Amino acid sequence: MNFIEQLKMASATLIAHKMRSSLTMLGIIIGNASVIGMVGIGDGVQRYVSEQVNSLGPNILFILPGSPEAQSRPVYPPQTLVLADAEAIETQVPSVDEVAPSLTASQLMSYRNKNASASLVGTMPEYLSVRNFDVAKGRFISDLDIQRNEQVTALGSELAEQLFGNENPIGQQVRLKDISLRVIGVMKPKGSSFGSNEDLNAFVPITTMANRVVGRTSPYGIQVTFISVSIENQEDMKAAQFQIENLLRLRHQITDEDDFTVRNQKDIMDILGKVTGALTILLAATAAISLFVGGIGIMNIMLVSVTERTSEIGLRKAIGASQGDILLQFMIEAVILSAAGGMVGTAIGVSGIWILAALTPLEASISPLTIAMTVSISGGIGLCFGVLPARRAAQLDPIVALRSV
Amino acid sequence: MTTSVSSISESSKFPDSQLIVRLENVTKIYGQGDIEVRALNGVNLTVEPGDYCSIMGASGSGKSTAMNIIGCLDRPTSGSYYLDGVNVARLSESELAKIRNLKIGFVFQQFHLLPQLSALDNVMLPMLYAGISKAERKERATDALIRVGLGNRLNNRPNQLSGGQQQRVAIARAIVNRPVLLLADEPTGALDSQTTQEVLDIFTELNASGITVVMVTHEPEVARQTHRVVWFKDGQVVHSHLKPEDLHNAVF
Repeated sequence: MNFIEQLKMASATLIAHKMRSSLTMLGIIIGNASVIGMVGIGDGVQRYVSEQVNSLGPNILFILPGSPEAQSRPVYPPQTLVLADAEAIETQVPSVDEVAPSLTASQLMSYRNKNASASLVGTMPEYLSVRNFDVAKGRFISDLDIQRNEQVTALGSELAEQLFGNENPIGQQVRLKDISLRVIGVMKPKGSSFGSNEDLNAFVPITTMANRVVGRTSPYGIQVTFISVSIENQEDMKAAQFQIENLLRLRHQITDEDDFTVRNQKDIMDILGKVTGALTILLAATAAISLFVGGIGIMNIMLVSVTERTSEIGLRKAIGASQGDILLQFMIEAVILSAAGGMVGTAIGVSGIWILAALTPLEASISPLTIAMTVSISGGIGLCFGVLPARRAAQLDPIVALRSV
Repeated sequence: MTTSVSSISESSKFPDSQLIVRLENVTKIYGQGDIEVRALNGVNLTVEPGDYCSIMGASGSGKSTAMNIIGCLDRPTSGSYYLDGVNVARLSESELAKIRNLKIGFVFQQFHLLPQLSALDNVMLPMLYAGISKAERKERATDALIRVGLGNRLNNRPNQLSGGQQQRVAIARAIVNRPVLLLADEPTGALDSQTTQEVLDIFTELNASGITVVMVTHEPEVARQTHRVVWFKDGQVVHSHLKPEDLHNAVF
């Protein structure tokens, strides 16, 4: 009996038992859809994260207060960085392009009867180029503003929208707790990165921020929350990081543990890559388990089907089917079930990913390779889990099988 | 071996190669040791071409076991079985499947039609395993169904047919591969007396056209319509050429 005829016969049998076939496939469908979906989501998250990291700006280094070890503790480390550190880096490290120290705080900002929670960022004009930022209207903080402790601010796009609506904010006064600021500019939308929405920032001259808003200085000068540094050439990143670390150790008179941390884009990417990679594996493994369970479902139903069709198997043997014919018949049924389930599941998974990509910022995607892999894996699952029932069917004694009606 | 072969052929009107069935000192033992059951104990039996023979005997007399061995569904523990001149006692499982497919046609008490297939598809099934082309399968299956009087029921499913009609489909399926032997196991056991006669008439017609028929039955009325009765008792053949009209005298 040739393979095509076997294939036709198996499909006819499966179609004759529509309910049972579709319920059996359900397990594989769900398994496959979740594998595809999860791998797609994991991929999307990875892509999203790397976009976020890239959006921080090219060739950028972050200097944070506290030792590398302290970064992982839940409390904020002591504010060990000061404005003078930033100035020293700019003047003494040759490969550095620009330096933008930032001092941040959250305060309620109000305009007339409207309030908004603003993330105040005290910084310098260099912030724009270091962080790949731009103004939409008006201007950013200038060196003169810094010198004069001017009470001015450039608002993030969303913050401006919240406070002013359609009104032009330029030239208006917004109030903070203790002082009022004149709006000099509105930033272009940038989106959020790592949970902080940059469009809710209000940029203030760092001197104004230190002296008039938070009112905090140290014996070494104005404290800063972090320093962003841009490096001229990508190749100099390592050297620049090394020089900055040495310079700060010297300035802070450090003998053992650093009281600051220098992070580069690659470090951040690596850390996040590990996290999202682990996430993808976790998701895929969970989904793979459901695929496996689907395979067991197929085995179950096929075993039941063998028992149910004992007399059919006996009859087929009596009229000339060999063990091989019966084995093939049941194997084909199992593989058809799992492969068809795999295809339906893949279709569901892929459309789920499209929907996700359309509705969320996650650009979830799935490679044809992954699709080919999951479909063939689910076919293989049918093959593996089909063996036991098919062997049982093939080895039935036709005499016994014919007697059971 | 050679001596026993010659002794059998002496008693036969036909030369060896022309016998359809020749069981030679066949034993079948189930189980081992204390629970050993000798279902067949040295059975010798021959069936000639064109024979119409019924096998009778009480339950447990070994007639079903003999039937299974004749039908190549089972292999003897010892002894030889020549089917159409071939010793099938030691053939492999797949070779036996081929023999069942091409040389034997089965008819069962419970019909054993596949419920999801039409009458035509059911009859085409043995030819599917024989690897016959689709056009020929269809033509031969149609012919076989016409021969059993179901030319107008080709596309009916078994559940749309009466018991007698279902058994006729089963007979068509049994003869469609042109077997040398038609084996029927209680073919009328599930039928009422009128359909029994219809089905027996078909067997008689098929036999008249040259097909060798062996039928296991426990109904004397059925056996009486065959040409020869083989009587089994305790795993042995006690009468091998009983005339149906002597059935009553010999057995009861």
